Amino acid sequence: MLTLKIWIVQALFIFFTTESVGELLDPCGYIKPESPIVQLGSNFTAVCVLKEKCMDYFHVNANYIFWKTNHVTIPKEQYTIINKTASSVTFTDISLLNIQLTCNIRTFGQIDQNVYGIRIISGLPPEKPTNLSCIVNEGKKMMCQWDPGRETYLETNFTLKSEWATEKFADCKTKRDTPTSCTVDYSPVYFVNIEVWVEAENALGKVTSDHINFDPVDKVKPSPPHNLSVSNSEELSSILKLTWINSSIQGFIGLKYNIQYRTRDASTWSQIPPEDTASTRYSFTVQDLKPFTEYVFRIRCMKEDGKGFWSDWSEEASGITYEDRPSKAPSFWYKIEPSHTHGYRSVQLIWKTLPPFEANGKILDYEVTLTRWKSRLQNYTVNDTKWTVNITNDRYIATLTARNLVGKSNAAVLTIPAYDFQGFTRPVTDLKAFPKDNMLWVEWTAPNESVNKYILEWCVLSDKAPCIQDWQQEDGTVHRTYLRGNLAESKCYLITVTPVYADGPGSTESIKAYLKQAPPSKGPTVRTKKVGKNEAVLEWDQLPVDVQNGFIRNYTIFYRTIIGNETAVNVDSSHTEYTLSSLTSDTLYMVRMAAYTDEGGKDGPEFTFTTPKFAQGEIEAIVVPVCLAFLLTTLLGVLFCFNKRDLIKKHIWPNVPDPSKSHIAQWSPHTPPRHNFNSKDQMYSDGNFTDVSVVEIEAANDKKPFPEDLKSLDLFKKEKISTEGHSSGIGGSSCMSSSRPSISSSDENESAQNTSGTVQYSTVVHSGYRHQVPSVQVFSRSESTQPLLDSEERPEDLQLVDNIDSSVGNLPRQQYFKQNCSQHETSPDISHFERSKQVSSVNEEDFVRLKQQISDISQPYGSGQMKMFQEISVADAFGPRTEGQVERFETVGMEAAIDEGMPKSYLPQTVRRGGYMPQ
Amino acid sequence: MKVLAAGVVPLLLVLHWKHGAGSPLPITPVNATCATRHPCHSNLMNQIRNQLAQLNGSANALFILYYTAQGEPFPNNLDKLCGPNVTDFPPFHANSTEKTRLVELYRIIAYLGASLGNITRDQKVLNPNALSLHSKLNATADIMRGLLSNVLCRLCSKYHVAHVDVAYGPDTSGKDVFQKKKLGCQLLGKYKQVIAVVAQAF
Repeated sequence: MLTLKIWIVQALFIFFTTESVGELLDPCGYIKPESPIVQLGSNFTAVCVLKEKCMDYFHVNANYIFWKTNHVTIPKEQYTIINKTASSVTFTDISLLNIQLTCNIRTFGQIDQNVYGIRIISGLPPEKPTNLSCIVNEGKKMMCQWDPGRETYLETNFTLKSEWATEKFADCKTKRDTPTSCTVDYSPVYFVNIEVWVEAENALGKVTSDHINFDPVDKVKPSPPHNLSVSNSEELSSILKLTWINSSIQGFIGLKYNIQYRTRDASTWSQIPPEDTASTRYSFTVQDLKPFTEYVFRIRCMKEDGKGFWSDWSEEASGITYEDRPSKAPSFWYKIEPSHTHGYRSVQLIWKTLPPFEANGKILDYEVTLTRWKSRLQNYTVNDTKWTVNITNDRYIATLTARNLVGKSNAAVLTIPAYDFQGFTRPVTDLKAFPKDNMLWVEWTAPNESVNKYILEWCVLSDKAPCIQDWQQEDGTVHRTYLRGNLAESKCYLITVTPVYADGPGSTESIKAYLKQAPPSKGPTVRTKKVGKNEAVLEWDQLPVDVQNGFIRNYTIFYRTIIGNETAVNVDSSHTEYTLSSLTSDTLYMVRMAAYTDEGGKDGPEFTFTTPKFAQGEIEAIVVPVCLAFLLTTLLGVLFCFNKRDLIKKHIWPNVPDPSKSHIAQWSPHTPPRHNFNSKDQMYSDGNFTDVSVVEIEAANDKKPFPEDLKSLDLFKKEKISTEGHSSGIGGSSCMSSSRPSISSSDENESAQNTSGTVQYSTVVHSGYRHQVPSVQVFSRSESTQPLLDSEERPEDLQLVDNIDSSVGNLPRQQYFKQNCSQHETSPDISHFERSKQVSSVNEEDFVRLKQQISDISQPYGSGQMKMFQEISVADAFGPRTEGQVERFETVGMEAAIDEGMPKSYLPQTVRRGGYMPQ
Repeated sequence: MKVLAAGVVPLLLVLHWKHGAGSPLPITPVNATCATRHPCHSNLMNQIRNQLAQLNGSANALFILYYTAQGEPFPNNLDKLCGPNVTDFPPFHANSTEKTRLVELYRIIAYLGASLGNITRDQKVLNPNALSLHSKLNATADIMRGLLSNVLCRLCSKYHVAHVDVAYGPDTSGKDVFQKKKLGCQLLGKYKQVIAVVAQAF
């Protein structure tokens, strides 16, 4: 009971709900037509009709209707108010395929409400199907196809209709995925004409194709013949017989055939002439085939009269023709082994296996015969393709035949010339090799003489592997062929061609060739051979043949500086060095090199070098002249100095008067002259002795000197200025220590001589050294007998000197030097001086020799104090001639006076020059 | 006769004939209206000859296939079981005129067509796995349909014969299996014999 109540409640709920929803879903109007399908480009009008109930509810009428297409309001110009409840809209030239059209009303002045909506489908009516054709695959049902025409944009149905003259068959409806073809449901009936056509229909129309009427047997595509088999004939090695089974259609129609065949390794088919297979048959014998060759066959058929279609090709069947004797002799050649024993030589006979089309069967063995000149024949059976035999040095004739199951080939004859045969001439000419069609062709011009055959040999040239030769034989009439071997690209082949005459082989000609060139796999490595200031000689090695990959046509040298542009220079391939010119000095250059074949190039590694700043010899060209100039200048300077040594000596190293040797007493005008200088003046007037000490003395009195004296005095002044620091003052202990000017002279020897007993000291008080005003200007004669110098204090030293060899020989000049420079060593010199003075006489010859010695001694020392003192010492060597010595001093010291023709007398000169009067 | 008509009628509805089943149809008078769906082909006689040859070429194979499919005792008792002992088989006069031969051919093919229909129906039940036989029977029936169409077209187009009375063989639906097989074998034997004569006549 409860369940019943629940059911009732549910039923009532569903009823009322449905009623209310129905009310809600009930539209305010509708559009006519409901589901329009219109043709593209045509006009279309839709009408919206409002319901009275809705009009009353919303207080609207047809004027409130507005239309939308795809949510876009249509202009009111396209509206037409038909009456109070209906409004229409018109479209012209519809172009859209699918239009959503809605009818709307505006309620309460502002609320748009959709009343109804439809979808307008546009499209085109079908076109008349064309090119209707049918095919009857044997054993299957008929299938027809056609061109449907233009796109209709609508669902279009194609129906294939067919009928006999007396009855109609069921329609063939196309499937959705194949709208342009249809396979009928019934089996084809041959020999009854059937009429077929196609109807195309969609919402906008229906159209029918042209009718075609045909006998299905004329549209048949037979099944291919099957069970094709091939058999050969032992009687005829050039035929194969084909047999097959025709399709069942052959029972009531005639057939014709296509038979094709090819060899197993061929890709193209040959066809039996169609006229030979134009009627129904079950077998066919193919002729003119090659012996012992495998052939592949296939066959197809069609209706004999040519109506209908060719069947598919049958499955392929193959057969091998029977063997025949080899049709050609094998290629035959020989090689002489390098080793050669006395009287015999090892010959390797080589031959090529016959290709199948020449072998005509399986080669069982080869028969080789060797015939020595005018000797009997020897037979050998060989299974290999080479045979080595030792033969004598005579001429031999070798023959070769190949044997198969049926018979032997013709014999290949080869003449092996005698060992000493010298007739290897008559080579081929104009030998060329070139790649073409991926083959390496060889071409030559035949010699004038008849050639039996040509032997072509080739091998790969390599730096790493030996040249392993392959070969082939060509007939004597051939002068162009290609190498039948597995040739590789980028390999250099050395090809030789040998013509073979009846009496033996001729000379060979060789050529190199590539099947296909490629860029070198490695570039040349360039280096410098010589680098100059503005040029560099580059050198490189030829690329190994393994990396050349082609003929090197040229090299290109690229060089550049770090910042500069790269420059390229092409160099012929025959060169291995090149000189880069116009380079900048002291610049880093980077250079690399590329080698080019016909197919491209390859760069080698980069090499850097720096040009030098100076060219070779440039430094020498600068330095040597400079050195020479320097040497010359030095030499000139030396010569100058030598010539002007007196002057230089005065400036640089004036003689310092040794006070200990002074003998002022001699200065006294009352002292009679002890020497006659006249003759000596003449003797030493040109002497170069510069050991002159100049003492600048400013006389206390105002007595004016003579002009010539003044002139000399000026000179002395200059010298004095330059040497004042070196002059020794009276009583000074060092030759360079005295700062006090003193009157001294160079006649130390004389002083020493004159003071052998007592030394007269004098105090020379002059007006001042170098313009210094002395405190006291007094000339006084010392009466003291106290020796001033050690030498004088130690007379035993002097005595020791006296004991030395009295000859004037070259006593150590150093002693003189030391004597002058070192007071402690003065004594021996002084002794020497004294000894010299004691020498009573020295002949003229000794003097000249001594002078020469002086010159020799002074020469290595050049200049300077040492020279000066040496000269002094040399002068001392004339010690025995006291007067000469004095004269020399005067001569040198008064050089200027000599030039002026002054008399070379010491005393007057001294008196005049000194400008003083001894006290 | 009633039995014959009652058994053939359903088959005729399936096959070509729609009217007059159960009794031989008279030849339409010469002046009768003869209408076809489209004009008949001009090469009808050649097609008829080819169709007869096609039938003749396959008749023996069909016969062998049939009795082989039936199994023993048929293959070894062909003379007894499959002899061409068919009563009321339409006659054929090879030396008559073309029109007469065509009319007689029409009756023969109609008779054979109806009989093949019965045999095909029976064999689908008796030897449902003998697909090859079924296929061969259907193909022969199809050829006969085409032959009838051509003959009728020829009679209509040339001799203005729009209708020919035909007679049909006995209905086998009510017979036992052996009788069905035997009648079928006898018919195919007769067919093989007759079709050779007819094919030779055209």
